[in-house]
This record gives sequence, C-alpha cells and structure tokens, in this order.
Amino acid sequence: MEIVPQLILNSIIAGSIYALIALGFNFVYGATKFFNLAHGVMAAIGGYAVFYFAKTLGLNLYFAVILGVALAGIVGYGLDKFIYLPLRKRKASNMVLLVASLGAMTALQAVIAILFTSRFKTISQNIGTQKLFEVLGGVITQTQLIIILVTALILAGLVFLLYKTLFGKAVRAISDDEEVAQIVGINTNKIIGYVFFIGSALAGLAGILVGFDTGIEPTMGLGLLLKGVIASVIGGVGNIYGGVLGAFLLGFVENFGIWKISGEWKDAIAFTLLIVFLIFRPRGIMNK
Amino acid sequence: MNKLTKWVIGIIVVIAVVITGYFVSQNSSKVSTEQIKIGVVAPMSGNLAFLGEGIRDAMLLAQQDLGNTQYTYELIFEDDQLDSKITASAVNKLLGVNKVDAIVSFGSGPGNVVAPIAEQNNVVHLGIASDPNVAKGEFNFIHWTPPAEENKVFVEELQRRGIKKLGVFESNQQGAAAVMADLKEKLKETDIEIVTDQVFNVGEKDFRSIISKAKNSGAEIYLLMAFSPEVEVLGKQIKEAGINTPLTSIEAFELSEQVDLFEGEWYVNAASPTGDFTTKFEAKTNENPTLGAANAYDIFNLIVAATEAFKGSTKPTPNQIANELTTIKDFNGVLGNLSVDEDGIVISKAAIRMIKDGKPVDIDN
Repeated sequence: MEIVPQLILNSIIAGSIYALIALGFNFVYGATKFFNLAHGVMAAIGGYAVFYFAKTLGLNLYFAVILGVALAGIVGYGLDKFIYLPLRKRKASNMVLLVASLGAMTALQAVIAILFTSRFKTISQNIGTQKLFEVLGGVITQTQLIIILVTALILAGLVFLLYKTLFGKAVRAISDDEEVAQIVGINTNKIIGYVFFIGSALAGLAGILVGFDTGIEPTMGLGLLLKGVIASVIGGVGNIYGGVLGAFLLGFVENFGIWKISGEWKDAIAFTLLIVFLIFRPRGIMNK
Repeated sequence: MNKLTKWVIGIIVVIAVVITGYFVSQNSSKVSTEQIKIGVVAPMSGNLAFLGEGIRDAMLLAQQDLGNTQYTYELIFEDDQLDSKITASAVNKLLGVNKVDAIVSFGSGPGNVVAPIAEQNNVVHLGIASDPNVAKGEFNFIHWTPPAEENKVFVEELQRRGIKKLGVFESNQQGAAAVMADLKEKLKETDIEIVTDQVFNVGEKDFRSIISKAKNSGAEIYLLMAFSPEVEVLGKQIKEAGINTPLTSIEAFELSEQVDLFEGEWYVNAASPTGDFTTKFEAKTNENPTLGAANAYDIFNLIVAATEAFKGSTKPTPNQIANELTTIKDFNGVLGNLSVDEDGIVISKAAIRMIKDGKPVDIDN
C-alpha cells in the first residue's frame, strides 16, 4: 500500500499530459467536428522548435518555449488555411478531412525527421539532476510539477475564453450549428482559423513539456494523440471538461492497472477502457 | 501531327524506356565471377543510427585493411532502423536487386527475420545477435558473445560483489528475452534472487509506475535490459524517483549514446576489441568503437577467410562458403581467437566494463 501515493502522483502526471492534448483536440473538434490527426504532430513541432531555438541557436529557454508554442499554433493555423478550409468550402466530408489530416501528419513527421534525424533527443538541461519534491508521500520532479500547474492554468484559461469572451461565444455558436452561426453574422472561417491556432499551440506546449520530462522524437505526436483521443472519447468528444476528466481517468486506470500486473499491459488496459466506453457509453462521461 | 501519329510516338517512347530500363537493370545486377557482394542490414537512421554507422565504419575499415585477395569484396549497406518490418524489404532488395553472396544483420529481431530468408535463398547470413535462434539452419551464423557466456560472467560478478537481491527492468524484446531466459536459469543455481522483474513494451517512455513497484523490493542492484531511448529514459526516471541503488546492464549501457547517464556503474558486455582495432577505429571515426563494430570487422574477415579458402576457377557457392565457415578454428580476430561451434555461433568471451569519465572501459578484476 505504500506505493499508492506515488501511483496517485504518477496518474496525475500522466493525466495532465493527456489532458493538455485532449484540451486542444476537443477545442478543435468542437468547432470543426472532425478528428484532426495532425493535432499530434503539433506536439513534435513544439518540442523540436524549443530544441532548435534553445539548444542549437542558444536562445533564452523561456523565449524558445514561447516561440515553440507560437510556431505550433502557426503551423496548425496554416494547415487550416491551406488544406482544411479549401476542403470545407468544397463541402468535403469529415472522412476526407480526416484523411487529409493523416496526410498532413505523415508529411510533417517526415519533415521533422529529415531536419533533425529520427534520433531521440532530450531538451532538458538538467538530466537526472532535477529538483525533487516530496508530495503526500510520493516524489515528483520540478518539470512534472510544472506540467500539472500548466494543465490547471490552461484549463482555467480555456474555460474563461470559451465562457467569458465574445470569441468564446462565437466558438460555442459554431460548435452548436455552423450554418446558424454564419446566418447571425459570425465569420466562421476566421474563428475556426483561430481555434486551430489555439488548439495547435496547446499541443505544441504539451510536446514541449513532454520534451522536458522525457525527450522528443519525430513520431512522439502519434502516441500522445492516441492517448488524447482515448481521453476525449471517454470524457466526451468535443467537451472541454470531458476531455480533462477522461484524461485523468485514463491516467489513473493505466497506472493503477499495472499495480499488480506487468507493465507491458499498460497500453492494453488503455485501449480496453476505450472499447468499454465505445460499447457502453459511446458519447463519453460528460456528453448527454 | 495527327492524333494517331502522337499515339504511335508515345507508345514507341514507352517501349524504348522499358527496354532501356530492362537492359540497364540486367547490366547492374550481372554478377561478376570475381566479386563477392556482402549486404549489410543495420540501423542507419533512427534512434540507433549511431550503432549502424559504427558497423558500417568497421566493415569499411576491414575492407580497407584487406591485403591481396583472390576475389574482390563489395559492401552494400541497407538501412532497417532496427525495425523487423523494414528488415524484410531491405534483405529482399539485397537479394533481388544486388544479388549479394552474404548478408550481415544487426540485432536479434532483424536477425530472426533474415535467417529464414537466407535459408530459403541459400545465402550465407552472419548475425550480430544474442538470440541463438538466429543461427538456426545451414546458412546462418552468429558472431556475438552468447547470452550463456555473458550471464556466466554477470552472475560471477554479482557473487564476487556479494549481491543477493537483483531487480530487473526488461524490455519486451527478443534479444533481452533470450538473455533473461538464460539468466533466470543460471540464477536458480545460486543464492541470488530476482526480487522484482518489471517488463515493459518497446517504445514506452513512462516508467514511473513500474519504478514505484520496484522501489521497495529491496533490490541491491537494478539490471536494465533495454534499447535506446528506453534505457536512457528509464535510467533518468529511476534517478528522478529518488532511487540511489546502483544500476547495471548486460550490453544495454552501450546501446545508448548518453552513456554518461550511467557514470560509475559496472556492467557486462560482449567481448572487448583489441587495442589495435580501437586505435584504428578511433583514427577513422574520432569515436570509440560502438557496440557490434568489432564483430562487424571480424565478420567481414571471416567471410573473406571462408571465401579465400576455396581455390577454384569460379567464385565459391554460398554452400561452400557456409561449409568453410563451420570449419574455422582459432581465427585471429579483433575480439580474440575465434572458433565457430557446432551451432554456427562464433564463440567469444564476455567482458566486465564500467562507464568512466563518460566512456566505457574494461575493468580488471
């Protein structure tokens, strides 16, 4: 039983990372209603941007993080402007948009691998010498603590943006019915472009934090996206709160699931949870 | 020019291109009777590219060191990223397009893919791999210190250090599984106990919960059995969990580019190369010999020795090369005096090493 506090902390850390991905993914899905598979690669763009700006060019780390987040946002915005928007204008189905996003993901992953090689890289400056904190009988590193705090701040910020601003109202209107939103005078394409920027920037931030915690590789986005999508499905696709709830539930189930059995079952447990929800509650916990 | 004429010209151009392509490919794949082609499948990109590059450099060094020979030897390298799925297509390309006479592979996973293909196509295959299954068949050989030898040295070292409780983190991967299966058998004959055995999937990056499970096991040392980058992430997360228990490995530390993460730790590795080879390799690459580089150097020379032993008017058949390889005894390699045993395994000794000043060095007991 003495490992329970550590397992709880591990679950919160994993849940926070999944939540960051799920937040951005749900934000984009809510407005566009399609599974943007390129969302995962934004995490890799953020991570590699920080690696390049901070480690290669030697820029200030905080400035590099801002640039990394911004670059991921810009790439996401660019994908919408140059790929998804023209397809939407042609009334392309969600399946076509999904395939287009798969193509974008594969292409961007390949570009990263060409530019930086496929080798695993660390962007942390203090490998193995991080400050450790004892919390409730468990140990947590400085980076992990930052991950949890950032996730909480991002959630609060996103809720404020969605429910307390005019922009948020417009996003919710598009999410409810894009055609009606257009009729009442909302420039939906412009708003969706901004949604892509914010959602992709969040994925970029998640990639940067994962990069500091473990490391980066061109294909890192796919694994993160899978966990983010599972979290979204469990919590309720398109629902901001649902994504976060699903992420933490997934984190807890994964980490407590391997308490008594071998660690190699971790992914099997995650996908079993997904299947259980798809069969018994396909709309997720939060969606009615 | 009317439409019909355009069609006729178009068809003629297509036929001309096809015919030219056919003759060009026929010409390029024509096998010289004097030339022995050796295809090498190794990771030239991806996380373990540094190991593939080491193997490539060592084989090019061996080719460069070659004196007067009856035949000429050509090396053809194919990248498989140490991914078994890619290995199959790389080998098929070497066999189908390059018409190689021998194949060299790296890793137990890829080795297990190449072995049946080599057997089916009657082509000599030498694997740098732990899994003895890679050497099954008439044409397959292994040049790697066998798990039994590495484990014998590892267990002796544990006993010498008075370690009774061993914790294990092992990757769910063929090479690691072969070593662990033999180690568990060997430990049954000792008073050393595996107090925790945590298995994880290849590609896993979050080891926090399995580390938590192992933390209070009472292990006096943790054995890490993983490839890069799992081994580095695992080592880092063990430290971040506040665990100061020593770490050790069988080969794994040298599978990492960040060996400094394991500064001061001892481990068992496949045989250490001679100083002469190390000096030559460093002069060529400005790097220490990477894992498997010395084996690759020896493999090139073993193939040459087996081929040159055949005195005929045409080059030897793969069957003849394979037969000749099985007779090799006390071959003077950079990993010591090498002999091929009845299972097709080139026997070499294991070494105890440690990471000192960020570099792997041998330790004298």
